[in-house]
Amino acid sequence: MLWTLVLVPLLGAILLYLGGRRLGRFGLSLSAALVVLVTLVLAGLAVMSGWQGGVAWSETLALTLKLSAAGSVFAVTIPLIALPIVAYAGSHEVTLRFDQRRAEPQGRRLMAVLLAFVGAMQLLVLANDFLTLLIAWELVGACSWALISHKWGQVEVPKEAAQAFLVTRFGDLGLYIAAAAVFAGSGGFGYAGLAALDDGLLGVAIAGILLAAAAKSAQLPFSSWLFAAMAGPVPVSALLHSATMVAAGIYLLARLQPTLSTVEWFAPLVIAIGLATALVGGVVGIFQCHAKKLLAASTSAQYGLMWVAVGAGFPGVALLHFVAHAFLKAGLFLAAGLAERQTGSYQLHDMRQGGRLPGIALAVGVMSLALAGMVPLGAAWSKEQIAAAAGHQAVWLALLVSLAGGLSALYATRFQLLAYGRPLRRERSRLPDGPRPSRAESGSLMLLAGVTLLLSVVWWPEAQDWVAEVLPLALAKSKTWELVVSLVLVVLGIAVGFVMTRRQPRSSIWLERAAGWFGLPVAIQAIAQGAVMLGHFLARFDDRVVDGGLRGTARFGQWLARCQLARFDDRVVDAGLRGTARFGQWLARRHAQQGEAVSEGMPGLVIRLSEWGGYWARRAQSGQTHHYYTGISLGLAVILAILVIGAWL
Amino acid sequence: MILTVAWIVPLMGAVALAAFPRWSEARARQCAAGVAALSLLALVVAWVGFDPAGPLFQHVDEMRWVPSIGVAYRVGVDGIALAVATMSALLFVAAIVYPVDTLGQPRQYYAWLLFLQAVSLGVFLALDLLLFYVFFDLSLVGMFFLIGRWGHGTPQVSALKFFLYTFAGSLFLLLAIIGLYLSLDPFTFDMRVLIEQQPLAGSGLYAGLVFLALMLGFAIKTPLVPLHTWLPQAHVDAPGPASAILAGVLLKMGTYGMIRLPFAMMQETFAEYSLVVGIVALVAIVYGALVALGQSNLKRRIAYTSINHMGYTVLGIAAAAALFADNQTARQLALTGATVEMVAHGLITGALFLICGSFWQRTSDYELDHYGGLAHQAPLLTGFTVLAAFASLGMPGLAGFVAEFQVFAGTFAIYPWLTVLGVLGILITAALFLDLLRRLFFGRLPAHLGGFRDLEPAEWGVLGVLSLGILVIGVYPRILLTLIEASSAILVRVR
Repeated sequence: MLWTLVLVPLLGAILLYLGGRRLGRFGLSLSAALVVLVTLVLAGLAVMSGWQGGVAWSETLALTLKLSAAGSVFAVTIPLIALPIVAYAGSHEVTLRFDQRRAEPQGRRLMAVLLAFVGAMQLLVLANDFLTLLIAWELVGACSWALISHKWGQVEVPKEAAQAFLVTRFGDLGLYIAAAAVFAGSGGFGYAGLAALDDGLLGVAIAGILLAAAAKSAQLPFSSWLFAAMAGPVPVSALLHSATMVAAGIYLLARLQPTLSTVEWFAPLVIAIGLATALVGGVVGIFQCHAKKLLAASTSAQYGLMWVAVGAGFPGVALLHFVAHAFLKAGLFLAAGLAERQTGSYQLHDMRQGGRLPGIALAVGVMSLALAGMVPLGAAWSKEQIAAAAGHQAVWLALLVSLAGGLSALYATRFQLLAYGRPLRRERSRLPDGPRPSRAESGSLMLLAGVTLLLSVVWWPEAQDWVAEVLPLALAKSKTWELVVSLVLVVLGIAVGFVMTRRQPRSSIWLERAAGWFGLPVAIQAIAQGAVMLGHFLARFDDRVVDGGLRGTARFGQWLARCQLARFDDRVVDAGLRGTARFGQWLARRHAQQGEAVSEGMPGLVIRLSEWGGYWARRAQSGQTHHYYTGISLGLAVILAILVIGAWL
Repeated sequence: MILTVAWIVPLMGAVALAAFPRWSEARARQCAAGVAALSLLALVVAWVGFDPAGPLFQHVDEMRWVPSIGVAYRVGVDGIALAVATMSALLFVAAIVYPVDTLGQPRQYYAWLLFLQAVSLGVFLALDLLLFYVFFDLSLVGMFFLIGRWGHGTPQVSALKFFLYTFAGSLFLLLAIIGLYLSLDPFTFDMRVLIEQQPLAGSGLYAGLVFLALMLGFAIKTPLVPLHTWLPQAHVDAPGPASAILAGVLLKMGTYGMIRLPFAMMQETFAEYSLVVGIVALVAIVYGALVALGQSNLKRRIAYTSINHMGYTVLGIAAAAALFADNQTARQLALTGATVEMVAHGLITGALFLICGSFWQRTSDYELDHYGGLAHQAPLLTGFTVLAAFASLGMPGLAGFVAEFQVFAGTFAIYPWLTVLGVLGILITAALFLDLLRRLFFGRLPAHLGGFRDLEPAEWGVLGVLSLGILVIGVYPRILLTLIEASSAILVRVR
């Protein structure tokens, strides 16, 4: 029964794409939303009734599904987030044909792939073995490629989509190795087998898993693929950053944390990667002026914080922060899309839509504050939990987490004030007019803001008890001084954010470099170009040297045949023949002259035979290939005939 | 009996086509397609009647021929041969139905295709070494004429190069076969006896030389780097359907031969050299993928991906041959993966080369840079190419993944480092196919492609069937795996 969670969105996607030709905007949105809703209901049922699923490919290969604690959180959150995003996409991205009734095929494809994306992600979080996980892991990547390259007509877009796909697929290779290592050690692919591995194989498997998770979660050094992914439409980014794709990495770590943490280098490595990404990503967000890229950097940073939580031994905390972050980040992306509709670009400095869209600005404000980690919003609580978790390891770690929180407060403030702040007086007249957001668009945004607001209840002790009861995972005990330090840093971040947005943006090479992940995309592109150049070089090498060697051999053979052998043939072989003939003639003449022949017939026969033989031998040396072939085949036929006759006898 | 029907029927079809000079093009094509489909049907019947719990070789036919030297007409299949043969028959039907310019000689074209089908199936069905060798060589003749007479560019040169190069491989094979034959007492060409007796086990240098000759012969056919340079040239000048057959069926003879001859008949010797074979396969994987990335010609690029994919197959075979490794499950997984790769690669690359044929029919141009933005103009073509490309780069849910995953998982248990480096191949393949899709279908449409037509029903019908096969194997490979595992389990067992 657990398969229904996967199959409903996947089959729904196929049906919608093939059967939705006559649907308009509303029809498309409604049917897609219905599919997601059914998935959501099924996920709820599955969590309550403990379904399982499995299908065997062969004796060794079996796909198994099982709900884990982490999986349950994801299985419910994914459709919950996808629902408003799908509704928004139907209205924001789908364009109508000239008859103004039916949707363009691109829009239909977008909606279908969004559904497939949800299905693949459900498969990922339900998987109970590495084979199923790998299938889902790669499918999610393929879906994101299809979604990012939605506007394939623009020259740059397919390149960016390919970059995003390839960077994450490099991570997927780790999962191939991990699955193979688990098989080598346990004879199967189940998660349970991971714990049974010996030290060497376990190390290999965990390294592979970490590589895969880091690439998907956009941690250092893979962070910049999220910038490439910005070539996709807004709903795609919203889904990609909140509940799918990027979330896959943290899911896997949280799911397997008990086994992964048995290796001693796991915790320090994961904390180091997470913290580095959180801090660097925060700086990138502070200086980034492209609305979506600012949010993308923030995504890396926030997932970095979740990594810290897992590394510190609190996967439950990471899950809670994931949920809180998912709703607010989806909402912020949708908000960025609405602002872009008004101004025609994602440049933050051109936006300032607070005056035109006050209601939406308010809703976005709630989510920005949550991203900033401001009490009493839910995301603030989960961030404090991460700081507390880090504090269990070392005090300075907790301080660094709080610092990362301060950075996120800064860029969240910048985003809010620049995208949805009041316009500066001198710029007010330049505001162009865009279409008002549709009800579906603003409704989706409000819904996400509402859930973000609702999540504030986790500050209540009763709610915390409930969470601890439902999720069988440990929460961290927060200390008061940590909370105070965090809050001070958050307020400081907000204040600096206010100051920064008042000033005119200054451009310098250093700021640009900081805003672009300190040259990381350039480095990745250099690697890609290196591979392509190597390919070109090898292609030339293959043509000139490998094949050249062959051609050389052939030419040598021809030369040998034409000059040397032909001459040899003429002078030696043929001369021999002529010699024999002459010898025969001489012999015959001698016999005839001396008249002492044993018999009259013999020499004549010899002469005639040798003359005839010489003639034929000369004729056969005609230099014409087909004559040779005829001769060879005749000879073969004779041999075959002899063989057959021999067998008969 | 059913196997004899499977290869005799196309041969008789070829003779009939040659004998009736008045048939029109449509008639000749229908007749050829019908005959090829009959042959496919016979193999499907054989598949249904195959008992996975039964002996290694089933549906065996045997007839006295030349008993004094141990030659007999012997055909029979194990799961591996049956899977590859059925895939080949399907691909032949597809190649025959796919529309192509027959240059005014439709009868001859279809007759040669049917002849090639008969002898190709013969290679996979034969249980007699001499018969195997005869079919193996005759397949060269069929392909030689298909490339030389219906190719483009410099078809004569390419066909001659193809013929001579692969014929040189056959000579090595012949020497090795004689070597194997002479090692038996009493002399016989019966493959079952050879597999049973392992005559060269522990015979040192002699066995090594025979093994070397066998592997050289098959490596040229597969082809493995650096013996591969005949392949791209033959592909570029061959007509689309002939290319599909060349990549989908003829290359398989090399890897199938490796499993049937050295792997099954010389287990000990193969085990000794399995690491070397594995390293050569790794070179083929990485080198093939990188050179493919460097190509700007559509067909050459796909041709080089074949070298990469056949590398996976050989890697799987090499891992499965490592007798000394105690892990029998892993060896079986690798062998099964190698076989699935053969079937998957046949369908996927067959589809890709047919697509190349469609491009040639429309523009007579393979240069990637001359294309762009076709996604809107030709949505069906785009859809099928995207599917085949993703299948080729190993996307789960499609056939290639099932094969490559098993090869990697099985090989890792035996040669971990080969696997760790080998997976890089799927990354490079992904890069080159995404680049290919981008340059063909995305971006702006150049002005000269304004009249580019989308696929016709005959074309998308054929591609639809192949894609369905790719999808079915990718989603529910059980049908195929049951058949293959029945044999791979017996073959990897230590005797």
